[in-house]
Amino acid sequence: MRESLGGMGLLAPTVLILLGLVLYPFCYAIWLAFSDKAVGSAGQWVGLRNFAYVIAWPQFSAAVFNTVVFTFSAVALKFVLGMSVALVLNQRIRGRNFFRAFLLLPWVMPAFVVYLVWRWLYDPLSGLINYALMDLGIIGSPIAFLSDRSTAMPSVIVAHVWRNFPLYAISFLAGMQTISQELYDSAQVDGASRVQQFRYITLPGLYHIIGVILLLTTIQTANAFEPVYLLTGGGPSDATMVYTMLVYVMGMVNLRLGEAAAVSTLFLPLLVGLVLVVTVLLQRKANA
Amino acid sequence: MREPLSVRATTYALLALFVFMVAVPLFWMVTTALKSNKDLYEDFTYLPRRPTIEHFVRVIQREDLLTNIRNSLVVASTTTMITVLVSAFAAFSIVRYRYRGREWVGRLILFKYLLPTAMLFVPLYAIVVGLGLGNTLTSLILTYLSFMVPFCTWMLMGYFRSIPPELEEHAMVDGCTKIGALFRILLPLSAPGLVASAVFSFTLSWNEFLLALVFTSDHTTMTVPIKLSMMVVGDQYIWGQLMAGAVLASVPITILYFLGQRFVVQGLAAGAVKG
Repeated sequence: MRESLGGMGLLAPTVLILLGLVLYPFCYAIWLAFSDKAVGSAGQWVGLRNFAYVIAWPQFSAAVFNTVVFTFSAVALKFVLGMSVALVLNQRIRGRNFFRAFLLLPWVMPAFVVYLVWRWLYDPLSGLINYALMDLGIIGSPIAFLSDRSTAMPSVIVAHVWRNFPLYAISFLAGMQTISQELYDSAQVDGASRVQQFRYITLPGLYHIIGVILLLTTIQTANAFEPVYLLTGGGPSDATMVYTMLVYVMGMVNLRLGEAAAVSTLFLPLLVGLVLVVTVLLQRKANA
Repeated sequence: MREPLSVRATTYALLALFVFMVAVPLFWMVTTALKSNKDLYEDFTYLPRRPTIEHFVRVIQREDLLTNIRNSLVVASTTTMITVLVSAFAAFSIVRYRYRGREWVGRLILFKYLLPTAMLFVPLYAIVVGLGLGNTLTSLILTYLSFMVPFCTWMLMGYFRSIPPELEEHAMVDGCTKIGALFRILLPLSAPGLVASAVFSFTLSWNEFLLALVFTSDHTTMTVPIKLSMMVVGDQYIWGQLMAGAVLASVPITILYFLGQRFVVQGLAAGAVKG
């Protein structure tokens, strides 16, 4: 009895943190979504009014669309790039440890630093990308990458992929190194091509890691805030307005906490849905 | 078996492409910080003609970045110390004690994983303001604990499980208390796990953006990420100073990561040899 009390005592700080800073805010967020709380006012129960207001707002449908586009294209690109990098690093190349550490750098650097650097690379007046493209004669006049509706979202995605592909690469590489070399040797004896070896040995060997990585990073990607905030602020005219940015604008700029909480509550099922889609896709692939 | 020439050529060509892709933004960050404003805005050059540290001096003197670096250091080191201690206690309790309700803590930790910060920052903001902690470093330390502690507890549980409980039981037969056994046996043996948790907490606190943006509102409490992001909108010719700040913000964290990674790998290898 005394012993179990000691155990609970050791756990108490963690339980306090989980209850006070995770569970309570979560319930509070749900309550906020049903109230008209603003900063400095107490807030009254208003039923579904916030939800009705938010759903009818064009910015909200833009946020749904942009969050889905951003999440799927970013995850797909990170997957392809990460897999290619892992395949290259899995070959017998000179200085492999150096290259592995070097290609990890974007992910080791603070995310906010990466997005500030990309904002500067995209700069229409003195940015490297515009200058280099004009220098090479590819474009005649500078492109306003981040303030043109057609280029803003792709530009944000590219910066996000650059920063995050190394996580995919090192995870896939770690998985590849657990696959027995003998499988490849015997496949080669049987005359299997490189593509066939990848399709029938490497990919099945990675299914578990691919599943875990896709699940975790889909949630992370759908909740990305920094790339949008630091590169475009959601603009131009909502072209990059993802849901995290919308919650921020509503809550912290317009100070309408109730509506902000309503947006994040509405996205909860969408996030769960995204995770389910990824899970189903993976299972179908595993059965195929 | 040696690879055919075509495979090796493709491999090295792709490797070169990846290295180029990663190197260009890094190169641009460092060289921008070292260029004069003339080289940046009037007379474009790929390489700095006359490298200068003027931007570093300016960002420290005129923008007073040292204050923000100090804030970031205070928040990151306090969060790290509290996290490692609290998580070690929690993991020890869950792994080595038996009582009802333990499994609920595990479920709450998992719940925290699936719950996005974007959903929590609005209520957390209201809570922080309600507690009178608006615009303080304390509010950052407190809220950072809410995602560091669950993660590190989870990680340390794995480490503690891998260490046979007999070691502690022997120590307790020799008159050591259970808590004494934690400090004398379990923690020293889990040193790599503790280092990994510390590196993780420090890095995440140092880089954290959204909560710091929401909770702090003036220069004296801003951490480095917020200060630098505020500088973007201030002045059009700020990029030299911004990239100098970016270099200052990323060098320590990069060094810490690679140092920590070495420790972690060493620790894992040692554990494997001991069996």
